[in-house]
Amino acid sequence: MMNTPQQVKNPSSSLKSRFITRFLGALTKITAEDPISSSSPTRIFQRYRRIKVASNKSMAYSVRSRRIWSRAMLSRFRSRRSAFSGRRSSVKTTNCTTSPPPALIKVTINEKKTAKGGLDMQTDELRELVPGGEAMDVCNLLDETAHYIKCLTTQVQVMRKIVDFYHLSK
Amino acid sequence: MESNAGTTETRSNVTVPDGGEVAAFESLQFTDEIHRLISAPGTDNASSFTALLELPATQVVDLLHSPESVKLIVASAPNVEDFKGSFHFPSNTGLIQKDARFSVFSGEGNNKNEKSNSPEMTSKNSSANLEKAVKSEPAETVSSLPLVSDPTMENRNIKRKDREKKVKGSTKKSKTATNERLEDAEKLPYVHVRARRGQATDSHSLAERARREKINARMKLLQELVPGCNKISGTALVLDEIINHVQSLQRQVEFLSMRLATVNPRIDFNLDSLFTPESGSTMDGGNFPSLVTPLIWPDVQVNGYRKQFQHQWHFDTLKQPIWGREEVCNNYVTLENSLLSCDSSANSAATLHANQLKMEL
Repeated sequence: MMNTPQQVKNPSSSLKSRFITRFLGALTKITAEDPISSSSPTRIFQRYRRIKVASNKSMAYSVRSRRIWSRAMLSRFRSRRSAFSGRRSSVKTTNCTTSPPPALIKVTINEKKTAKGGLDMQTDELRELVPGGEAMDVCNLLDETAHYIKCLTTQVQVMRKIVDFYHLSK
Repeated sequence: MESNAGTTETRSNVTVPDGGEVAAFESLQFTDEIHRLISAPGTDNASSFTALLELPATQVVDLLHSPESVKLIVASAPNVEDFKGSFHFPSNTGLIQKDARFSVFSGEGNNKNEKSNSPEMTSKNSSANLEKAVKSEPAETVSSLPLVSDPTMENRNIKRKDREKKVKGSTKKSKTATNERLEDAEKLPYVHVRARRGQATDSHSLAERARREKINARMKLLQELVPGCNKISGTALVLDEIINHVQSLQRQVEFLSMRLATVNPRIDFNLDSLFTPESGSTMDGGNFPSLVTPLIWPDVQVNGYRKQFQHQWHFDTLKQPIWGREEVCNNYVTLENSLLSCDSSANSAATLHANQLKMEL
């Protein structure tokens, strides 16, 4: 998805290009540290997690602090990193931006009353999905969701191209 | 009561402003009557009118004469569609308008079906339908006189905030007017809201209505962003769709990062040679051989790949073959070019150039 006009003032400074730079940099770092010859599932899984975090982090850094969700994500990363700076365990390396498994969400949602607040269910779900959504009112939440969707789409597009690139050059 | 010749009103019961209901106007004839009413000299009527306005007369006059005074957007009542821009006053209210340029509402037709642009005002009355009158009166600037249209009792329902000239009136373009107003209103400390007829008029519900309209505006934006949401009606379903979309995007990110984790070969990446649009021919990044790959990212191919991609969704990604381990895929420059060239609009030139490259295996 192309950037909105307001961000393509200068191609080198668009959100997409910033993300690409950061993400590819992180990717090379990850693959450099971790030789792919070892194909044990554990290693692959670790690498997967790191790549996922790198992807989200790159996007959050590309957005800087302009958005509530990016700020929330960045603070999450920082707190997480400081939390287990000493440990190498992977306890907390789940992707903070993903929601709990959908089954869980549905269960908790169904328990809430849906009389007039039929939209409360959805807004709560949305709050869980969008980072930093808990503290937002609905109006801002919708705004942030729109921007978040845009950034996620960019992320997916770029990553898919990278994967395709590898696949093509196989 | 003045005879309002030429007014075409579809409702017959135009009641006197004695506290009774005011008929919902469905069609208003604006031009002649207004002028007639304006020129009506009755001072006693003036006093009563201003009394109705609950404003000091001077302020009323100010409002009347300010060309760019507050425009009120009236949310369309259901019976708005019949408006052909004719306006009807309950005549015995004796509207004395010195300024001939007042017009009823600023809606200017764009409130026919949308309610999103009136965070500041919603019509309190069925006479709020007068917004349609503005459509037929392009020459009339919109002034801040809801009261003109609600000569009788609605005035007391109108919040004082409405009269403040915080919202800039726009000109004659209805759509841009309301858009500007929407943006202005959102920045302003005041929210200009007008309650519709039959609805509660306390400040809470008015504020809530304004809030709801803001939310509806944003929902519309989101609907455009999420594919396939345009046809869905109903906020809950749209929100469901949005949630699904966000979840699917997040899952796609995870999936793609898993694929990258399995796929990733030795990547030698020279950032310096990036972002050069013509670095097609020889890449000496030191680490990678001078291979050039065709920069072909035709959409068809990508989309086709994506189809298989999605079919493989259920695959256990760990079991996928690990490609490229032995194959160094080398040109990050080309990769970068391809990624970036698809950004810019000048990618046609880039891909042309890329297609001229040969690939050595």
